[in-house]
Amino acid sequence: MEYRVATTVEEALEALGGRDGSRPVAGGTDLAVVLADGLGAVPPLLVDVAGIPALQGVRRTADGIAIGPATTIAEIATRSDLPACLCQGARAIGSPQIRNLATIGGNVCNASPCGDTLSPLVALEAAFVLASRSGTRTVPAELFFVGPKKTVLGPGELLVEIRIASARLAGRSAFRMIGKRNGQAISQVNAAVWLALEGGVIREARVAVGSVAPVPLRLKGAEALLVGKTVRGLDVEPVLARAAAEIAPISDVRASLEYRRLVTGSLLRDALLEAAGI
Amino acid sequence: MKDETMRIEFTCNGKLTSVEARLDMRALDLLRDLLGLTGTKEGCGRGECGACTILLDDEPVNACLLYAAKLQGRRVQTIEGVAGADGSLDAVQEAFLEEGAVQCGYCTPGMVLSARALLRKNPKPDVPAIEEALSGNFCRCTGYGKIVRAVQSAAGAAQRAEGAVQRAEGAVQRAEGAVQRAAGKASS
Repeated sequence: MEYRVATTVEEALEALGGRDGSRPVAGGTDLAVVLADGLGAVPPLLVDVAGIPALQGVRRTADGIAIGPATTIAEIATRSDLPACLCQGARAIGSPQIRNLATIGGNVCNASPCGDTLSPLVALEAAFVLASRSGTRTVPAELFFVGPKKTVLGPGELLVEIRIASARLAGRSAFRMIGKRNGQAISQVNAAVWLALEGGVIREARVAVGSVAPVPLRLKGAEALLVGKTVRGLDVEPVLARAAAEIAPISDVRASLEYRRLVTGSLLRDALLEAAGI
Repeated sequence: MKDETMRIEFTCNGKLTSVEARLDMRALDLLRDLLGLTGTKEGCGRGECGACTILLDDEPVNACLLYAAKLQGRRVQTIEGVAGADGSLDAVQEAFLEEGAVQCGYCTPGMVLSARALLRKNPKPDVPAIEEALSGNFCRCTGYGKIVRAVQSAAGAAQRAEGAVQRAEGAVQRAEGAVQRAAGKASS
C-alpha cells in the first residue's frame, strides 16, 4: 500500500482518479481498524486528505453554512454555530482520543448505519458536494446512503463540502442515542429531530433515525403528524406509534430487533421534547 | 513503492525529531520501535483502550490509529516528556503516586496524558468532567475511583500553587507600596 499526503483538493482528486481502488483517508480511526483486522481490501493507494486547508473548518455562506469534511468530530461537537442535534451527535462518537482524530466527512463516507452524525445530517437535509477529476455534483444526505457502509460515491470521488441551509439553522433540534454504556459506546439506535416553531406551533418537522434500517431513515409519516400541532400539551404517542411502523430494524451483535423498536420510541420522545423545549 | 520510507520531522517532547519511516506505519510503532519511547503502550491496538494515548498538539489521540504521516510538522508529547529534565514528577504524576492510582501501571501513561490535557483546558474539573476526559482510557485494575481522585488532587495542588503565587504577589505589592509611602515621607 502506498500512502500519499495531499495538500490540495486538486492533488487529492488527481491521486484518487489516477489509480483503481485507491481511497481517501482522513482521521483514519475506522480505516486503520478495518485494515488492522483484515476486514477490508487493502487499497493500493491511500490519499490522506485530513490536512487539506480547503476541507477544514466551518464557514457561513450566502444561504447557510458549509462544513469542511476534514473538520474533526471534536470541533463539530463544540461549535455553537451548528444545529444542536449535529453537535450532540458528534459528542456521542467514540472517546476524546477518537474525536480528536475522526472527521465528520469520515463518519459520513464510512456510512455505518450507526454513525452518529448521519441521522442529524439527514434530519437537517444536508447536501453533500462530491468532486472528482471530471467535475462536481451535489447529493442530498437522504440519497447519499444506499446501504450499510455503501454510498453513492463513485471511484475517484471525494466529499468536499457538507452544506446546511439557513432554514435548518433557524429551527431547534436535538439528538439522542443509546449504547451499552456511556463512554465509547456504538449506537444501538440514534434519533435526530428538527422543528421549526412559530408561536408555540410546529410549522415544520424533520425526524431521522439511525441503526434501525440499512441506511439512516427519514420518518416522513411521523413528521407529518407533528406539523400544525401545538407544543404545549403535545401528545407524542401517535407520533411514536407512526415512527415504530416506519422503521425496519434487524437483530445483530449490538441489539435485537424488538429492543431497537422499543427504544426508538423512547429516544424519539426525549429528542422531540428537547427540540420542542418542553 | 512498497517499502518506501520518507523523512518525518516533528517536535517530540520538546525536541525537533527527524526520522525515516514508512508513512503508513503506526505512530505507536514509530515512537516505540524507531525512537525507543516505550512508555507509550499498546493495549488493544484498535483505538478502544487508550493505553497508547499521546498528545498531538496538546490533544489526546490514540497512537495505534495514527498514521506516521500525520506526525509531520506536529508537536507530540509522550509520557517520557512529562517529568522535568531533572526527573522531577509533574503534579499529575505526583497525585497518581499519592492516591495509589496505579496498580499494574499499563494504563497509567495514557491516563496521565489524558488528565494533563484536561487540566490544561479546565483547571477546575468536576467529577463528570474528569470521567468524560478519561472515558477513552481503560483501567482493568483500580476501578477508576483512585484515578479520578488523583486528577482532582492534581487540580487542587495546581490551584493551591496558583493561590500561593497570588498571595506572594500580593505581599510583594504591599511591600512595594510600603516602600513607596516610606520614600514619600522621607522626601517630604
